[in-house]
Amino acid sequence: MASMRKKSRGDNLVLRYAILGAWALVCLLPVLWFLSIGLRPRTEIITPQPIYWPTFSLDAWHMIWSDWPMARYLRNSVLAIIGSVLIDLVLAIPAAYSLSRYTYRGRDDIGFYILSTRMMAPAIVAIPIFFLFRNAGLLDTIWALMLIYAAINLSFVTWIIRSYMLDIPKELEDAARTDGASDLRILWEIIIPAILPGIITASVIAMIFAINEFLFTLLIASTSQAYTMSVALANFTGGSDGVIYNAIALVAFLAFVPVFIVVVAIQKHLSRGLTMGAVKG
Amino acid sequence: MARIELADIQKKFGLVWGVRDVNIDIADEEFIVFLGPSGCGKTTTMRMIAGLEEPTEGEIRMDGEVMNDIDARDRDVAMVFQGYALYPNMTIYENIRFPLRMRGVPRAEQDALVRQAAGLVELTDYLDRKPQALSGGQRQRAALARAIVRQPQVFLMDEPLSNLDAKLRQAMRVQIKHIQRQLRITTVYVTHDQIEAMTLADRIVIMQSGAVQQIGTPDQIYNDPANTFVAGFIGAPPMNLIAGRLADGTFTAPGLRVTGLPERRGGKVTLGIRPEDCHVTVGADHLQGIVFGVEPTGETTYLTVKAGEKLVEVKADRDFRADLDTPVAVGFDTTRLYLFDTASGDRLR
Amino acid sequence: MGETSLSGTGAARSAPARPATSRLRRRPRWLKTAFPYLLVAPAVIYLMLITLYPGIYAIIQSFYAVKFGPWQPVGFANYVRLWGDYQFWGALWNTLVIGSIALTLQCVLALLLAFFAYRDPWVRGWRIVFLLPMLFMPSAVAFIFKLSFLDARVVSDLLIRVGLIDGNLAIQSSVWMSRGLLILADVWQWTPFLFIIFVAALQGQDEEVEEAARLDGASWPAIFWNISLPMMKPVIAVALILRGIDITTMFTNVFIITKGGPAFGTETISYFIYRTGFRFFDFGYASAASVIMLILTILIAQFVVKRAFVSARS
Repeated sequence: MASMRKKSRGDNLVLRYAILGAWALVCLLPVLWFLSIGLRPRTEIITPQPIYWPTFSLDAWHMIWSDWPMARYLRNSVLAIIGSVLIDLVLAIPAAYSLSRYTYRGRDDIGFYILSTRMMAPAIVAIPIFFLFRNAGLLDTIWALMLIYAAINLSFVTWIIRSYMLDIPKELEDAARTDGASDLRILWEIIIPAILPGIITASVIAMIFAINEFLFTLLIASTSQAYTMSVALANFTGGSDGVIYNAIALVAFLAFVPVFIVVVAIQKHLSRGLTMGAVKG
Repeated sequence: MARIELADIQKKFGLVWGVRDVNIDIADEEFIVFLGPSGCGKTTTMRMIAGLEEPTEGEIRMDGEVMNDIDARDRDVAMVFQGYALYPNMTIYENIRFPLRMRGVPRAEQDALVRQAAGLVELTDYLDRKPQALSGGQRQRAALARAIVRQPQVFLMDEPLSNLDAKLRQAMRVQIKHIQRQLRITTVYVTHDQIEAMTLADRIVIMQSGAVQQIGTPDQIYNDPANTFVAGFIGAPPMNLIAGRLADGTFTAPGLRVTGLPERRGGKVTLGIRPEDCHVTVGADHLQGIVFGVEPTGETTYLTVKAGEKLVEVKADRDFRADLDTPVAVGFDTTRLYLFDTASGDRLR
Repeated sequence: MGETSLSGTGAARSAPARPATSRLRRRPRWLKTAFPYLLVAPAVIYLMLITLYPGIYAIIQSFYAVKFGPWQPVGFANYVRLWGDYQFWGALWNTLVIGSIALTLQCVLALLLAFFAYRDPWVRGWRIVFLLPMLFMPSAVAFIFKLSFLDARVVSDLLIRVGLIDGNLAIQSSVWMSRGLLILADVWQWTPFLFIIFVAALQGQDEEVEEAARLDGASWPAIFWNISLPMMKPVIAVALILRGIDITTMFTNVFIITKGGPAFGTETISYFIYRTGFRFFDFGYASAASVIMLILTILIAQFVVKRAFVSARS
């Protein structure tokens, strides 16, 4: 029996490609559908019979740039997200260094506390945070969004960077120490350059989560002054006309392109980042 | 340059003893080697000298000054690591310059010093490369250059050659000893390889389970082992250690009988004999057994003889050959026998 | 010059690298002990502001009636009301049902896909294609699902054309179809998350073990089931926990696609809190629900998550 299947490598290639191909279609077809909605006129979106081959139209494109302050939403998103990632790195790198390189009382509990903040549902803290920001006069500002995004991603970023730091041989640090370097110098000159891929991975993932964040943004940014792309979408309702789907689809596609590029660039590190370092890719 | 004293050093990791009761006085310019199996405490001892670990008890002094609470970066020691520990993001040049930068050597003098150190280890042509682009031997030399560039009080080397292949290791051994003699810097060297220890050391410190077993010159360690651990650790193949009984100047074990030993306290005794002090004879002799294995190395032939349950290693002539299970007799050079107390392992003198 | 100044004794001894007189620096001991705490402190303080402070705030607020006017202390009234509130229990139940079905489905799918993909020569290509759904903003994905299933009835239309159903699907009036829609949206978008992790874990496994098993005559499915899968257990646990956290806090899709309906049948606990707080402005009551959820979170974190992360690391 074994000799009869010697060429099959044990699994069935037809089955394999049937399944992988089917799922590839499941992934790709909705994306194309997405695109077709973004590039069709409004009149062809909700119709008695769905239209599968719509007329090509840049209605949505003109609409988002002329009827809405899309440039401002975009700027808000970019500022809030980049600011939040910077806050995260400034806080997370020293914290990760401390958690990965020193032994001290309570270290594991502190590390777990940081991890566990990731488990907190946004809805739990939403109300107090709302009042906190309202009292601080930060509602409807990108500062509030920046602080919130930073908080949401901090545990993730810390744990990813910690995981990369754990991979750096202790010897390297001992060598630097006997060479006369202080702890902070070791962090700055030896550790940070060596874990640059980890820092980039963490930043990219934090960026994506920040783009995706919805609930807080909805609560904090209640006027179009501080709208980000994600919440602006939820408000593309154009009053009595209902949801303006082609604009939504187009904006989502525009946001997708840069995300896709950076994710493909860090593909190798993605699984490690997504599991906070628990899986070495 | 520097004399190092270790006084009653203890190191505990939680409840486990890492190092206990270590007392060593290392002279200025001496090349001292810590030798022992892995986990014997030799690396921990070295790390305490470096300042990377703190002793639980005891004092470390350099030139009379207590160093216990001085940070590693403030002690003037340089360390070479087993994995080389070159900074991966820096070129070889930047690696070698790093300690100068950290210690505030004026920028103008750095370049000349880096180039001298690189020249000493013949790395001048590779200064622009990153460590990943170098072979194992070159990385090793870069690590060495980084240690010598700042002319420290003390060199510490933690198994620096164990990641190299055998040929390269021999060449680097010579290099290291040459550089140490040239620079005349006190050197502490940790290894589990007895050949390295024998060839490099002025004195060897043999450690086991965190405790010092013997300190002495290579000759003393080889010819005058203090106990069965030292006897069995040094020599390749190592000394044969055969447990038996001693009574009325006669040692007996299965297949083995040696008479004419000096009258001593009898009882359970272990007899030690090096393979090179044994010879194959014709007819009855000290040891009667059967051939268990024959290993020609080209230069000589090692014969393993089975006597009772015990395997005894014998250095035979280079063209000695024998079939398995044929009876053989082995004679000992009785002037080179060692007797140890079986229970404690200590040498009987 | 050259090598001589290093090797010559006189020059070597005056080399500038040596501190002229050995005045040894003794650094304060407390600094050494405190240093790691100082490094981690900013992050911890920041997180406390955003978790501990709101936690305490919510606990306090949960003992008050906070509706438009000043806070009125009400003791445990909010909790008593929660205990009898079928909408609250319904929200817990919905979260559990939708979450567990969605999680099971995407885990099985991701494992199946990872099993077929990880040895494929084009695994990098599959990975990029399968990744696509994850890279769109969840809110936009939710809108497109809403459009395709509800507003434009595209899916109904397709199913009619294929001949699977006769009339339009009345998704909005069926609790189970609405739940199914939320599940479908989550599975479509987030199966890639698990897939990426599982493929990486499979690729990271020691090939020699698999080869040994193959020489022993095991088939690929048998190897996968008996060797690869058990070795992946810690990774699967971590991945499912991370995904589970996101699913049980699901808000965006409910907010956009179903608004919790029909008949509160798809209202998750997050949406319940949002609706109570920010639609009915009953903040004290919403805080009481938050506290219950917080307690559940802490329990799960302590007993499940801690263990999973510890075992994945070793």
